[in-house]
Amino acid sequence: MTEPLRVLIAEDEALILMQLEFLLEDCGHAVVATAATAGDAIRLARETRPDIVFVDLQLRGGSSGLDIVRTLRDESDVVLVFVTANARRFTDDFEGAAGVIAKPFTEAVILDTMTYLEACVRNPPPGMDAPLGLTLAPDYRAHLESLRA
Amino acid sequence: MERDDAWHLTDDLMVEHGKGDPFAAAIRATRMAMIVTDPRRDDNPIVFVNDAFLRLSGYERNEIMGTNCRFLQGADTDPSAVRQIREAVAARRDIAIDILNYRKDKTPFWNALYMSPVINEAGELLYFFASQLDITDRVDAQMRTQNEKEHFEREVGKRTRELTEALAAKTMLVHEVDHRVKNNLQMIASLLTMQTRAIVDPTARAAMKTMLTRIEALGTVHKRLYQSQDVQRFDVAEFARELASDLVRGSGRTGIRLRFDLEAVEVPVEKAPPIALIMNELITNALKHAFPDERPGRLSITVKPDGNYFEIGISDDGVGMPREVLGNRSFGKRLIESLARQLNASIAWQPAGTGPSPGTWIDIRLPRETAGSRETT
Repeated sequence: MTEPLRVLIAEDEALILMQLEFLLEDCGHAVVATAATAGDAIRLARETRPDIVFVDLQLRGGSSGLDIVRTLRDESDVVLVFVTANARRFTDDFEGAAGVIAKPFTEAVILDTMTYLEACVRNPPPGMDAPLGLTLAPDYRAHLESLRA
Repeated sequence: MERDDAWHLTDDLMVEHGKGDPFAAAIRATRMAMIVTDPRRDDNPIVFVNDAFLRLSGYERNEIMGTNCRFLQGADTDPSAVRQIREAVAARRDIAIDILNYRKDKTPFWNALYMSPVINEAGELLYFFASQLDITDRVDAQMRTQNEKEHFEREVGKRTRELTEALAAKTMLVHEVDHRVKNNLQMIASLLTMQTRAIVDPTARAAMKTMLTRIEALGTVHKRLYQSQDVQRFDVAEFARELASDLVRGSGRTGIRLRFDLEAVEVPVEKAPPIALIMNELITNALKHAFPDERPGRLSITVKPDGNYFEIGISDDGVGMPREVLGNRSFGKRLIESLARQLNASIAWQPAGTGPSPGTWIDIRLPRETAGSRETT
């Protein structure tokens, strides 16, 4: 295995946050920070420079995951992935995120997604299809294709 | 030779000529209100009025002879109608117009006025002839109809707005509930995941893991349902693909290939959870028993329609399920049988070596619709 991925999780539901932390650590990756608000997530992302940010849409205090994605997409080459029960709103426009995992997700989807994202970050393009539970943004898919060409 | 105006003098003078004139007699006696005015005299006064006009207007003959017709106008008479009549008089043309007039007692009536000039051979304008018909009933009926129409249009518009708002509110509520259900299912899965990690005993741990896959299967149903456009229908085939992929991945087994033979089959939404749970049990069973000792193999999932029924087939090329798994009363097996009864489904179990494939072969046959539900389209 390559160097573990550094992941930031923006999720205001404590149980779901715990489960994601456990699952990511099970795959050997490092959760470098967690945040329950968009502001904290943006600040912590600037401090910790993660490879991946998982973004819930509805965060604490009425803040929105969209603000995290809109802010961070232009600042670094971090891979932003929505993890949300509102996945249906993302069909064409992912606001600059690489993809979306719809809640409720299964353990298998998170494990598969981490394998896939690891290849995307460490050794692109990945030599496998995106897992069923991860819907890729058209822009990100095109980006991966351009690496393949 | 009789004078030109002899006939109207009969009103006043009862002269012999006019009285004997059958046309003058007809005008005098008709039920249609009629007047004649003389535009050659100052202010175009009335020079003849028949009895029907007196009955209609309520005036006595001597009150209106020699006066202009404008006494018929009143507060709500349309000025533009009056102007049109004045213009017709000035232009010496005929006019037909509905105008609101007033009787002597100030009660209004709708007057279907027809007025035309009388011109002699020399082209001189001699008279205006006018007939009046009381059409109040007709106009009232029209206005009532128009008012009712406008009233209904307003009501329909109002009701449409109310329903649109109610629908928007309902849609928002459904989205909110859907969001909460999905988050709650995720939290149940989170709790099971975390509890499982704390359990050391392998049997207890396996049982917890099995529970987690059941919850996850229900979660996947809900997730797929609200991703689709039609929340009333559920596609069994696409669900089967996602469920089987998840279960194989979740089992941690790497040597097991999945083969899908899927045709779209839509079922009513209420059937989705039991179908999902049955498939979850059967695929989990196959993964648990068919390929012991990390033995590689193939797991085939079939979904295909068959008239008013559809079939879900799950087969493996492994060692097959041991007799005690097929025969015993394990919780998983009882779960499958109960759910099958709920769905009116029949399940055929073929132990290894007896079916079309070498391993275990299971075929579930289900009606596509329950009685009283929507017809298959």
